[in-house]
Amino acid sequence: MDIGLAGQYVLNGLMLGIIYAMVAVGFTLFFGVLDIIKFSHGDVLTVGAFTALAAYAGVTALGLQSPWLILGVIALAAIAGTAVLGALIARFLIMPMRGAPPINVLLLTLMLGTALRESVRLFYPNGSNPKMFPRLLPGGAANFGRFTLRYDSVLIFVAGVAVIVGVSLLINRSKLGLAIRAVAQDAETARVMGIDLEAVVLFTFALGSALAALAGVMNGMYYSEINFNMGLLLGLIGFSAAIIGGLGNIYGAILGGFLFAALQTIGAVLLPVSSAYKDVFAFAAVIVLMAWRPTGLIAEKSSERV
Amino acid sequence: MGALRWGVGSVATVAVYAALFLYAEAQSVVIGLLVGAVVAMVMASRFDVLARVGESFARHERALDRLTFAACIAVAALFHDQHFVLLMLATVLLYFVACIGLNLQFGHTGVVNFAGAAFFGVGAYAAAVLSQHTPVPHLAIIVIAGAVAAVIGSVLIIPVLRTRGHYAAMVTIAFGVLFKTFLEVNDTLGGPQGLKLPGMSVFGIPFNANIALSDDAEISFYMHYVVLALLLAAGAYSLSRRIERSWIGLNLDAVRLDETACATFGIDVARWKIVAYTIGNALCGIAGAVYAMMTGFIAPNNFTFGDSLIMVSIILLGGVGNPRGVMIAAAVVLLLPEKLQMIQEYRFLLYAVLVMAVLLFRPEGLLPRRLRAYFPGGTS
Amino acid sequence: MTAPLLVCRGLTMRFGGLTALDALDLDVLPGEILGLIGPNGSGKTTFFNVVTGVYAATAGSAVFAGADLTRLTAQAIYRAGITRTFQRSRLALPLSIFDNLMIGNHRRLDHGLAFNLFRRVALKAQYESAVDEARTLLATFSVPLATRLFEPASAVTMIDRRRIEICRALISRPKLLLLDEPSAGMTHEETRELMDDILLVRGRMPGLGIILIEHEMNVIERVTDRCAVFNYGKRIAAGTYAEVAADRDVQQAYLGQE
Repeated sequence: MDIGLAGQYVLNGLMLGIIYAMVAVGFTLFFGVLDIIKFSHGDVLTVGAFTALAAYAGVTALGLQSPWLILGVIALAAIAGTAVLGALIARFLIMPMRGAPPINVLLLTLMLGTALRESVRLFYPNGSNPKMFPRLLPGGAANFGRFTLRYDSVLIFVAGVAVIVGVSLLINRSKLGLAIRAVAQDAETARVMGIDLEAVVLFTFALGSALAALAGVMNGMYYSEINFNMGLLLGLIGFSAAIIGGLGNIYGAILGGFLFAALQTIGAVLLPVSSAYKDVFAFAAVIVLMAWRPTGLIAEKSSERV
Repeated sequence: MGALRWGVGSVATVAVYAALFLYAEAQSVVIGLLVGAVVAMVMASRFDVLARVGESFARHERALDRLTFAACIAVAALFHDQHFVLLMLATVLLYFVACIGLNLQFGHTGVVNFAGAAFFGVGAYAAAVLSQHTPVPHLAIIVIAGAVAAVIGSVLIIPVLRTRGHYAAMVTIAFGVLFKTFLEVNDTLGGPQGLKLPGMSVFGIPFNANIALSDDAEISFYMHYVVLALLLAAGAYSLSRRIERSWIGLNLDAVRLDETACATFGIDVARWKIVAYTIGNALCGIAGAVYAMMTGFIAPNNFTFGDSLIMVSIILLGGVGNPRGVMIAAAVVLLLPEKLQMIQEYRFLLYAVLVMAVLLFRPEGLLPRRLRAYFPGGTS
Repeated sequence: MTAPLLVCRGLTMRFGGLTALDALDLDVLPGEILGLIGPNGSGKTTFFNVVTGVYAATAGSAVFAGADLTRLTAQAIYRAGITRTFQRSRLALPLSIFDNLMIGNHRRLDHGLAFNLFRRVALKAQYESAVDEARTLLATFSVPLATRLFEPASAVTMIDRRRIEICRALISRPKLLLLDEPSAGMTHEETRELMDDILLVRGRMPGLGIILIEHEMNVIERVTDRCAVFNYGKRIAAGTYAEVAADRDVQQAYLGQE
């Protein structure tokens, strides 16, 4: 294969990887504080992307011109909207389920995801059709043989890396991050030590949801299109990535995100039949991985005690 | 307590109600019937009727099971010349068979399976391929389709056995999505357009021909499928009951409730998970095969993750582990959007919200399972 | 002197850097009640988990009826005749009391698919004799409890749940019974009742060896034939209660703390 073409695949894989990693980090944060899987995470991403689109319609109607300013406003709108949504979900749907079997929380959030997805489809104007997502980043590209480097891709990738580094600094270095880690370690002890458990949980869910919104906006800008169904597959991929990395571990989630993108890329390039089988290949590989390492590549924090 | 008349009364009431509901055309009548049902349920639980009905079913189970079977036939006979109603009835019965399978996995053994629609689809595609390209008799096709679903399911056995909780859920969700994507891109299996199937023919009886009663009266050809589906449903129900009311059912419950504790009492956790998983997937495959031959056309869109979630919803709404509850929930979940046109578009949203409410406020389901009685009513 | 029921030599269990059992030697004789005492975290429950196959030992052997338990699965160990109760009750609470006992009766029931699904008449005979047996066993502990065989286990009091757990461990007629702090969370009066029941059962099942983990010293003194004292995963003393209580190491490690 041509070096340029190979480079193109690698770049594409990195772009997917950074978006998957952002989604997976959300899954792993939620699992960290409450030991639950919030499957609706992918659909929160969809809500974020559509919030951004609605905000775009709003600001252009107001006559705003500068693409950077517009981008800033719609990203903030998406972040704010989903952060509030995430906190509300945590407060009214997930916190009341503490003590219920974990599988019930998974079922609840699976249904919540369906409800969010269907709400976008039914209540967003003309929501069942794919929507154009505005191009707000500078166009143009540098060409090296068959390798094309779009400037907007570079910006998206850098933004993604910055966000993930920011979140991991927040978790590992800040006082708030310390509280989150304390709750993740042992919620009861953290509560006894004077940490406001509910506040930490709500903040974590707001943070994770905001991450999903950003991933949704980035995904929209990369493909220039969004639809009500986008969160289902992205959520499942993020969930898989968090799981193959090992739940509750941020670095595992990031690793899982890039690993999944790598699997898809390998599937697209190397499969003899057709690149259409790339998702089949990636999910099959994930299932095999789970058979080999049932609790992920970086093992889960706790084990059962008798 | 436990008088037979309460059970008989409830079966008769439900049958009459179902007939009225299926007859109703005007939306106002449908809504009226629904409101009536809700009011009746509230009154019934208020005045202890539900408890009496439950006692009656526990005591006279065998008689009431037969009565339920007869009531199904009576309702179908009432609509003998209406294609669409019979098609709906058969679909409800086939979904019931599949959900009994998933209920054995999830409700009894605690093995989650979010790929129910995929195993239903495996059976459907197996039936399509076999009926188009081979002369295998159609009844045998149903059995083979169940076996194929069980075999394909066994590919997942190692990850399903080795993983627990969220990890196991992810494996089956991934398989469901993988399956549908595979169908969409595989041209041999028709791609997104899907496959066509010939109608069934059993012992020389063509299932897709109407039955003439006299010169001007006919029975819809769908009656064949209703009868077949009813027999399968009765078989699945009886299988599920026999499993529940034996040491096997006890082993499945023990595995679900505490794997470590039951291993220290000699229970082979892996064996019982495999048994439940295989039987469950086979039932999904069997149901899918009949469904495919009945509708004559299948496509990947019939077997999505959303459809798997509908199956899980049926189990949760009906009462985890309770086959009777599953029957009622299957009927409600599948018939409601067909009769109430205004909610057709909103049905996924509606069920999602309903199931969330059940999980939050009544996690054991609307009709929770009763304690195991190995030999109810003293009969064997 | 009869041959020991269980012979542990050099039994070791490590979790990462933590050594929970450190080259433990221990014998249990048929028909005796052996008390296991020691501070929290000294390895008593870990010892039970290794002997019942919940954990795989890192090193050493535990020979029971000619087989090394460290090489057997939990299921095989149960079939060989070792049963247990758990420190925190692990009954299947939504199931009936009868069902809970039958979980313990696993090795004496027929689990074949064909038998269970199609031979309902034979199954019924097996079921009826199991009901009689369960009722009789339960009645030795508590006559009122035996009448509640088909009520959910969640409906009975703490002491009754403990009794059910002990019956679940006894119904398969094991050779060795491991009791993990059966008196936890009970009043003195309830503990006394329960221990009387255990002595009664021992009288009816000659040859049954019992290992009892217990913190109440007066219970140990009253019911055990011998005791072993654990500290940091090692057996620091063994003998009758009087001998052990007089041991200086034991006083330092354990009794001194009280």
